[in-house]
Amino acid sequence: MEFKLETFLFFFLAVSSIISAIMMITRKSPISSALFLILNFFTVSGLYLLLKAQFIAVIQVLVYMGAIMVLFLFVIMLLNLQDKSKFKEKYSYKKITSLLLSILLFCILSFTLYFGFTGKFKAMSDAAGDLGKAETLGAELFTAFSFPFELASFLLLAAIVGAVVLAKKKFN
Amino acid sequence: MNTEALILFFIVGLAMVGGGIIISTILAPKSKNPVKEETYECGIPTQGASWLQYKIGYYLFAIIFLIFDVEIIFMVPWAVVMKDYGFTAFVEIIIFLMIVALGLIYAYKKKVLRWD
Amino acid sequence: MTIDQFLLMKNEILLIAIAVIVLIIDLMTDNKKILFPVMIILFIFTTVIGFIYQTDGELFGGMYRSTPLINMMKNILNTGVLIILLQSAGWLINKAENHENIGGFCFILISSLAGMCFMISSGDFLMFYLGLELATIPIAALVAYEKMKFLSAEAGTKFILSAVLSSGILLYGISILYGTNGSILFKDLNNSVEITNLQALAFIFILSGIAFKISLVPFHLWTADVYEGAPVNITSFLSSISKAASVFILLILLFTVFINFSEIWNELLVYLSILTMTIGNLFAIRQQNLKRFLAFSSIAQAGFIPLGFIGGTSLGASTVLYFLLIYVFSNLGAFGVVSVVTSATGKESMNDYNGFYKTNRGLSIVMMLSLFSLAGIPPVAGFFSKFFLFTIAAKQGYYFLLFIAVINATISLYYYLLVVKAMFINENEQPIEKITSDVYAKLGLAICVLGIVFTGLFGIIFDYINTLSKGI
Repeated sequence: MEFKLETFLFFFLAVSSIISAIMMITRKSPISSALFLILNFFTVSGLYLLLKAQFIAVIQVLVYMGAIMVLFLFVIMLLNLQDKSKFKEKYSYKKITSLLLSILLFCILSFTLYFGFTGKFKAMSDAAGDLGKAETLGAELFTAFSFPFELASFLLLAAIVGAVVLAKKKFN
Repeated sequence: MNTEALILFFIVGLAMVGGGIIISTILAPKSKNPVKEETYECGIPTQGASWLQYKIGYYLFAIIFLIFDVEIIFMVPWAVVMKDYGFTAFVEIIIFLMIVALGLIYAYKKKVLRWD
Repeated sequence: MTIDQFLLMKNEILLIAIAVIVLIIDLMTDNKKILFPVMIILFIFTTVIGFIYQTDGELFGGMYRSTPLINMMKNILNTGVLIILLQSAGWLINKAENHENIGGFCFILISSLAGMCFMISSGDFLMFYLGLELATIPIAALVAYEKMKFLSAEAGTKFILSAVLSSGILLYGISILYGTNGSILFKDLNNSVEITNLQALAFIFILSGIAFKISLVPFHLWTADVYEGAPVNITSFLSSISKAASVFILLILLFTVFINFSEIWNELLVYLSILTMTIGNLFAIRQQNLKRFLAFSSIAQAGFIPLGFIGGTSLGASTVLYFLLIYVFSNLGAFGVVSVVTSATGKESMNDYNGFYKTNRGLSIVMMLSLFSLAGIPPVAGFFSKFFLFTIAAKQGYYFLLFIAVINATISLYYYLLVVKAMFINENEQPIEKITSDVYAKLGLAICVLGIVFTGLFGIIFDYINTLSKGI
C-alpha cells in the first residue's frame, strides 16, 4: 500500500478519537471528562475535513467545541458533585451486562458494515470538494431545502420558550 | 476556502498551542514539594474546596447564546450566496430571523435575562 | 408556489400561526386569562377546518405530502389536543402560580402538535426528523414543569435522555439507509430498499427508535416514571397524542418505505406485541397510584396496535386508525377525570376513589365509560376497535398471537373493573368531596363521552376511514 498523507491522517484521527472517547467515560473527575470530550469533538471535526466537508467541520468546532462545551461545563459546575462515592456503580452485574451488550453491538455492526460494503467502495470524486463548501450548502439550503430551513427556526423558537418556561424563577 | 488550507490551519493551530505546552514542560526547571502544590490564597491557609456552585442564571444565558450561535451558523451560507439568490434568499432569512428573534423577545419580556 | 399548494399545509400553517399568536398575546397583555378563550376558539376553528377541507398532493419535490388518510390522522391528533387543552384549563387558570406560564404552556403544546403533523406528513427523513424533534424537545420542559418536585424533575431528565437515545438510534438507522440507497426521499426509497444485511440493520434501528416513542416493551422503561412525574395533562398528552402520532408514522413507514421488509416486520411485531401486552398488564395490576396505573395500561393498550399492522393490508391500516381514534377518546376521558380530581384535591391514589360515585356522579360515570371502553366491554366503542384488530390477526392466520391477545384483554378487564368497583361499590368514610369542574373541563369530557359512545354505534365512521386508507 502506498503511503498517503490522508490515510495516515485518517488513522491518526480515528485512533485518537476512540482513545479520547474511552478516556472521557473512564475519568473520575467530570471536568477532565469534559476536556476529553472536547478532544473527541476536535478529532471528529478533523475526520469531517478529510471527507471534504469543510463547513460542517467548522460548525463542529464553533458550536460543539465552543458553545455546547460551555454548557456542559456550566452544568458540571451547577451540580454538587463533591461526593465522589455517589458515582460508583453499586452492582457489578450491570457493568458486565453492559460490557457484553456493547461487545455484541460492536460485533453486529462491524460484521454487517464489513459485508455490506466490501467491494463497494468508490473513490471520492473530484467534485466532492465543492459539496462541502458554504456556497454549495447555501445554494441547496435556500432553494430545495428552504422549508426545512424555516422549520428549523421554529424548532429553535420552541426550544427557547421551553428553556424559559423551565428555568424561570418561581412566581412571587 | 478549500480543504487543504483548513487542514493546514488545524495542524498549525494545534502545533502553536500544543507546542508551547510541550516545550515549556521540557525546558522549564521543575521542583515539586507539598507546599508548592497548595492552592494560593493570599498567603493564608486555604479553606474548603474551590468548587463553588454557579447561579442558574448563567445556564440560561448560555443556552440562549447557543441558540443564537446556531442561528449565526445558518446565516453564513446565506451571506455567501446572497448575491446569487437575491430577494428570495433575503425573504427566507428574514422570516428565519424574525421567528428566532421572537424567542429573544419572549425571554426578555419574561425577565429571565434580568440579573438580580 | 401557488395558493393551492400552500393550502396543502393548511393544518400545520394554522397551528404555527396559532402558536405565534398565543406567544404575541402573551407578550402584549398582563391579563393572561383572556389568552385562553382566544386560543381555544382559534383551535376549534383549525380542528373544524381540518374535517371540512380535504387535501391531497405533495410539495417541495416530495418532501411534504398529504393524503386523505394523513389528513384523518391529523384530525384525530387535533381533536385529542383540543380535549387536552380544555382539560388543562382548570389547572392553568385556577392556580395563581400557573398564570405566568399559560402562554408558554399552550405554545409548547401546539408547537409540539405541529411537529407531529409535520412528522406524519413528511415525505423524506429530513422532515420526519425535524418534525420528531419539534414534537419531543419542547415537551420535556413541560414534563419537568413542577421542577421543585423531585418526581417531576426526575421525569424530565428521564424523558429527555430516552428521547435523545432513541433519536440517536433512529439517526444511525437513517444514515445507513442513506448510505446504501443514496436518497432520503420516501418515494425513491420505495423502489430501492431491498433486504440486505445492512438495510435490515437500518430498519431495525429505525423501528427501535420509533418503538421508544410508542413505548413497546423492551423500550418502555422510561414510561412509567415519566408518566407519574409529569403534570396530569402532560401525561395524558404523552400517553395518547404522542403515542398515536408515533404509531401513525410507523404505519406510514412500514406500509410505504419498508413494504419489502414485511416478512421481517411481521415476525418482529408479533413478538413486540406479545411482550408489550403481557408485561404492561402484569405491571398494571399491581399499581395503586391511578396515574401510574393508567400509564401501564396505556403500555398494554399499545401492545394491541401491532395486530393491525400484520399482513400490511389497507384494512389493517384503517383498523389501527379506528383503534387509535377510540383509544384517544377513552384514554383522555379517564385522564380528564383524574385531572379534574387532582387539580381540585391533589389525590391520586386508587383508595382515594373509594365511594367516588356517591359524591361525584357525573365524573364517575365518565370514568366508568372510559375504562369500559379501554377494557373493550361491548356496548362501548372500545369493544369494536379491539374486535376489528383481532379479526385482522385472525385473517392472517396468527392464531397464537390472537390467543395471547384475548387472554390479555381479559386480564385487563379485571384491573379496569377494580377501579370501577372502587368508585361504585367500595365504602369510604371520607370520600372525595363534591367537585364542581369548570366549563372547559365539562366540554372536554363531553367530547370524550360523545366519542366513546358514538364512534362505536355508527359503523359509518369505520367505513369512512376505510375508504380513505386505500391510498396510504
